[in-house]
Amino acid sequence: MSDKTQAIFTGDRCLSCTSCMANCPVMAAIKDYRGPKLVGPAHGRMHFSQEDIETSLEFCSNCKNCDRACPSGVAVSTLNMLRRAEYYKTHKHTQAEDMIAHGERMAKLIRKIPFGATFSNVGMSFGKSLGIFSKLGLAGERDMPAYAATAFKDKFNSIKQTASGKKIVMFTGCFINDNEPQVGEAFIKVMNANGYEVLIDKGFNCCGSPLVVTGYLDEAREHADNNVARILDWKKQGIPVVTPCTSCSLMLKEEYHELFGEDKFHEAAQNVYDAFEFLEILQERGEFNENLKPLNQKLLYHVPCHLKSQAIGLPAQDILEEIDGVKVQTADAGCCGISGNYGFRKDKYEISMKVGAKLFERIKQDDFDKVISDCGTCRMQIHHGTNVKPYHPIEILAKAY
Amino acid sequence: MEKATVVVIGGGATGLGILRDLSMRGVKALLVEKNDLVNGASSRYHGLLHSGGRYAVKDQEAARECIIENQIMRKIGKSCVEPCGGMFTRLDIDDPAYEELWVKGCSDSGIEATPITLDEAFRLEPRLSRKHVKSAYLVPDAAVDGFRMAWQLIDSSKRYGGQFKTYTEVIGFDSVNGELRGVKVRDQFTGEEYEIACDIAVNAAGGWAGFVGKLAGVEIGVQPDKGTLIAFNQRIVNHVVNRLHKSSDGDIFVPHGSITILGTSSMSVPNPEDTSTSRAEVESLLKIGEETFEDLRDFRILRTFAGSRPLYIPPGGAVGRSASRGFAIVDHEQDGLKGFFTIVGGKFTTYRLMAEKMCNQICAKLGNNTPCRTADEPLVEEVSQEDKDRAKKFFPSYGVNLAATRLGVDRFKKVVERLESEPESRELICECENVTRAEVEEICKDDTSFIVNDVRRRTRIGMGTCQGNFCALRAAAIFADMGVESTAKDSLTRMREFLQGRWKGIRPVLLGRTLRETEMTRSIYELSMNIKGGAPQ
Amino acid sequence: MKTYDVIVIGGGLAGFMAAAVAASRGQKVAVLTYGSGSLPLASGAIDFLNAKAPDAAIKNLPAHHPYKKIASKNIDAAAKFFCDITSQGNLPYVGRLSAQIPIVTAVGTLKYSCLVPESMDASNLADKKKIFVVEIAGLKDFYGAMLVDNLKKYFPDKTFEVTKIDLKLLGGRDITCMDAAQILTDKEQPLANELKALNATADDAIIIPPILGVMGSFSRDVVKTQLKAEIIETTCLPPSPPGLRLQRAFIKYLQKAGVRILENSKVIRGVVEGKKLTGVVVENVVREKVFPARKVILATGGFYSGGIVMRDFDNPREPIFDLPVFFPTGAENWSNQNLFDDKPQGFSMTGILTDANLNPIDENGKVLYENLHVVGANLGGCDKIFERSMGGIAIASAYKGAIL
Repeated sequence: MSDKTQAIFTGDRCLSCTSCMANCPVMAAIKDYRGPKLVGPAHGRMHFSQEDIETSLEFCSNCKNCDRACPSGVAVSTLNMLRRAEYYKTHKHTQAEDMIAHGERMAKLIRKIPFGATFSNVGMSFGKSLGIFSKLGLAGERDMPAYAATAFKDKFNSIKQTASGKKIVMFTGCFINDNEPQVGEAFIKVMNANGYEVLIDKGFNCCGSPLVVTGYLDEAREHADNNVARILDWKKQGIPVVTPCTSCSLMLKEEYHELFGEDKFHEAAQNVYDAFEFLEILQERGEFNENLKPLNQKLLYHVPCHLKSQAIGLPAQDILEEIDGVKVQTADAGCCGISGNYGFRKDKYEISMKVGAKLFERIKQDDFDKVISDCGTCRMQIHHGTNVKPYHPIEILAKAY
Repeated sequence: MEKATVVVIGGGATGLGILRDLSMRGVKALLVEKNDLVNGASSRYHGLLHSGGRYAVKDQEAARECIIENQIMRKIGKSCVEPCGGMFTRLDIDDPAYEELWVKGCSDSGIEATPITLDEAFRLEPRLSRKHVKSAYLVPDAAVDGFRMAWQLIDSSKRYGGQFKTYTEVIGFDSVNGELRGVKVRDQFTGEEYEIACDIAVNAAGGWAGFVGKLAGVEIGVQPDKGTLIAFNQRIVNHVVNRLHKSSDGDIFVPHGSITILGTSSMSVPNPEDTSTSRAEVESLLKIGEETFEDLRDFRILRTFAGSRPLYIPPGGAVGRSASRGFAIVDHEQDGLKGFFTIVGGKFTTYRLMAEKMCNQICAKLGNNTPCRTADEPLVEEVSQEDKDRAKKFFPSYGVNLAATRLGVDRFKKVVERLESEPESRELICECENVTRAEVEEICKDDTSFIVNDVRRRTRIGMGTCQGNFCALRAAAIFADMGVESTAKDSLTRMREFLQGRWKGIRPVLLGRTLRETEMTRSIYELSMNIKGGAPQ
Repeated sequence: MKTYDVIVIGGGLAGFMAAAVAASRGQKVAVLTYGSGSLPLASGAIDFLNAKAPDAAIKNLPAHHPYKKIASKNIDAAAKFFCDITSQGNLPYVGRLSAQIPIVTAVGTLKYSCLVPESMDASNLADKKKIFVVEIAGLKDFYGAMLVDNLKKYFPDKTFEVTKIDLKLLGGRDITCMDAAQILTDKEQPLANELKALNATADDAIIIPPILGVMGSFSRDVVKTQLKAEIIETTCLPPSPPGLRLQRAFIKYLQKAGVRILENSKVIRGVVEGKKLTGVVVENVVREKVFPARKVILATGGFYSGGIVMRDFDNPREPIFDLPVFFPTGAENWSNQNLFDDKPQGFSMTGILTDANLNPIDENGKVLYENLHVVGANLGGCDKIFERSMGGIAIASAYKGAIL
């Protein structure tokens, strides 16, 4: 029964045990949030009584610690996101919400202007210093992610690849495409070294994660339908879709189905892999290129929440430790606090920094050479909270080829 | 000595209906109930306000009564009726010929039964079996909350001077020369025995009517007929879903607030106190239920419960499901006791009509010509939108409407004032059913709240997902805090009794998630609280 | 894919203990969890048995009892190891297996346990003159009046005083003990000030809900040093800070020892080679993943934690390895009329039977997998809640399972 993982059918499994409350980083940071149990599963039984909304729902960051704490398989955070979408059926989004949910659209607009990225980056630092972000409802303390001069997808054709019969499609994710194309290049280098030619599919949309968490569920659904149709097309051709972004992979693999429930989301999900998950599968099959140059590096690994949710172990750590001289230590400091666009909201900035404090402290111990994390927004938060520039693990691996 | 013109025996729907009717006609009436209100079949049932569809083939008179009373209740009982509507579905295994009879029966009885397409049926009720359901009709069924209705009948009666005493058991009658003088009662908590003088007594004790009759030396043909029901943790259905076939066990699903009730079985029992349920009964209900909803067993069962319908058996009459659901009024002057009446049989949906007929007869005796007005006047005034809007700021989400309909205008206002002035009283005592401390304390304060279960029935604490795991401690503590000592029970006893009450309904369904929940109950109360209080031996 | 020396399935007390013991012996360990285990619900105290001297009473248990398979020397060693771990996490436990220590429950009864967090030890209560019971404004689930009513029954001659202090907790959601503990962590001074103002002497005791922080004994140390009176924490409704402190002490130990705790990892079956497991299979939303292991410890708990499931009557199942499950048949043996009874509940005796190596056995006593060890609440044959052996069996069986 495919219902089993659709969020709305999981609320009935809640035993009211409070494990989710004990593990919610937002609850630990502030008193305003009523917490996952009450907002998701418990209120789920009460919707019949009247049209209403739990206002503290706005504090849920969708980090999914509650889901992982739940001994009963309740998709607590997705239940929250579904309710958030209900709220926005009758409430208008703010301009800031519109902005942070539609990063993809913004980037496309900017790219149409000659030197748009440069201007916009300059504009953003002006905007920040003039307090415009703050007026919009964005966290004025933060730098907005800087746009790369050329988006990864535009650069893609110029990247030299070894042609191969074995192909994968890279789902770039917005952040890598617009802000960190170097991660995409590292990805290609690694996949090429492992005998795979990388394709991209310009028809893919943003996975929809920022839309879901900001309550644009209908739009997210359009993205999901489009992406899934394409993933299924690639599946037919026997070509897997691989992404180096953990929030994208979680959305494609799990959240689409939790949110929307149709079987096609499940079918498509089977053709989607997280980058290191894919490499580890190659390794298990004996197909992983173990011809790695030694690197003398001590790495501190912040494991993203959305990777933990995928139940694929810690493939990045295991693979990187194959490199001579690399030592990986997990940070074990919980959620970084940013949770996608959550920490970019002015009213959530403080919470996001409070949640991340433990991780920042850990990083400030400075007993490593580099910090790594698979998730783009986690990397932004780490940079913001510690001034240490973190790397995607695939950038490290690329150096070893 | 206490005095009333009429003593009504039995705090079920019928007795309460009579109390209200008499009070509205200006008759001084006092109701006595040996337990809390609606302890019998008036709460231990599926909560269905019949459209009459269920009786459209077998008993069209009953069907007509149902549809009329249904419409009246929707009008006067806005705070206890949920007009969710009903659906009749015929399955592939059901006789299509019956469907034709039924359609005709509905039309003959004045019940609007609208055929709908299967697509529409599945849209309205997504969990319906795609495999088995073959046709569907919409009917004006509704859900009615027996607890809320009872207390609203009390509120209405009180406005007209009606009085009532719970936990007051009738132990005998006082008569002189075949004429009733009074009713002897015992206070269940203090054991005190006393007499209430009256001209007339009405035996409306439902399943217990036979026992009450015996105390007065008269024989009454009432057969307690036990019906077992299952309560599920969530709303599986949006409408009342009935099976379109010859009435049988396990063929009605009623959305009842946050939960769904599946019922009902039918089994003659010697004693109406027998509200036990068994694994076998549960299994047979589920088996039938899953014909309509294939994945029924995937839903969490909260508990089971049972109540006894008081079936009236005229000398030589039928028993069980073929017994009439009709009712009878007996004037026991014929048995040599003037002033003593019995009303028995009938069903919840038509309680008002039964009360009206009974009261007509009583008033005729008393020479009171006031006409019955119970069909015209709402049970309680509705809480105004303005008060609800004001309350929104302090109530938990999704909680205002429920609390407003539970509490009524005055108590709701008081609760809102407390929530406003004392932020501490906003905390949820029951997180599953959204009940604030202010509401629990307000009900606790009532002189009719003796045990935690009394508060449960009026607030729904302990009736949701965790079945008392969290609120048992909180409620017992509130009793201790407020010094509710009328029954001289300590808090540990209160907690144990409350959880034991929950356990009774959980035990027959102790599997799946219900079992997991129970292990949580035990680990909290035995391991963390040492509720038994013992020391190692 | 690396092969683990030990894979522990389950992140409750038994699972963490097993992982800690294995890691302390230099083994490469992973813990696969699905849900955060039952420690957030637990009182924090480790019960061994409902007897005045549990160590002696354990010797008289019937042969099928899990304790008998574990053997006394391992039980002692487990208790010692447990106390080592907690003290490393600055969460000192007191007690021994030959006696019971009273702790005060949230309802005011005394509960007796062998190993209790120092902050809950109420042994000295009997010698105190006056007992202050401190309510916190805005804190849910702590009711001084009820607590005193019940505690008075044990100490009828003592003076009790219920006072309420304000730590400015109000103004937000309902505040549980866990919330208060989180709020007070690193901000203990307001509490210390309020408690100092009680002017309690060294002859007095102060009873408070368990709000002294969520990590070890740090918050307690700050407050305690400023008071003359003894300060004692009670148990509470979940989420329970003493349980959380224990959980965190273990997690910290495991992380330091290089143990991987992999969340959300639902194990669905083993990889079997003859009578041995070579690994376990985790099912995520889209695919399966094999985790190779030389040894597997099953610590998935009983019915509460889903280590044993029962969808249909008389058919309880162990869902991962489909191990035979012992259970009482028939409705009449399944449960008692009373929820809180003077005899064990049948359903709670349900579980897996093992040999002395904690290897699961079938109805003929034949070992099913030589390198699979069953520990904790999914061991069958006794009602661990009724006999108050839940914690003791968890850590002792885990210890044995890990050293084998």
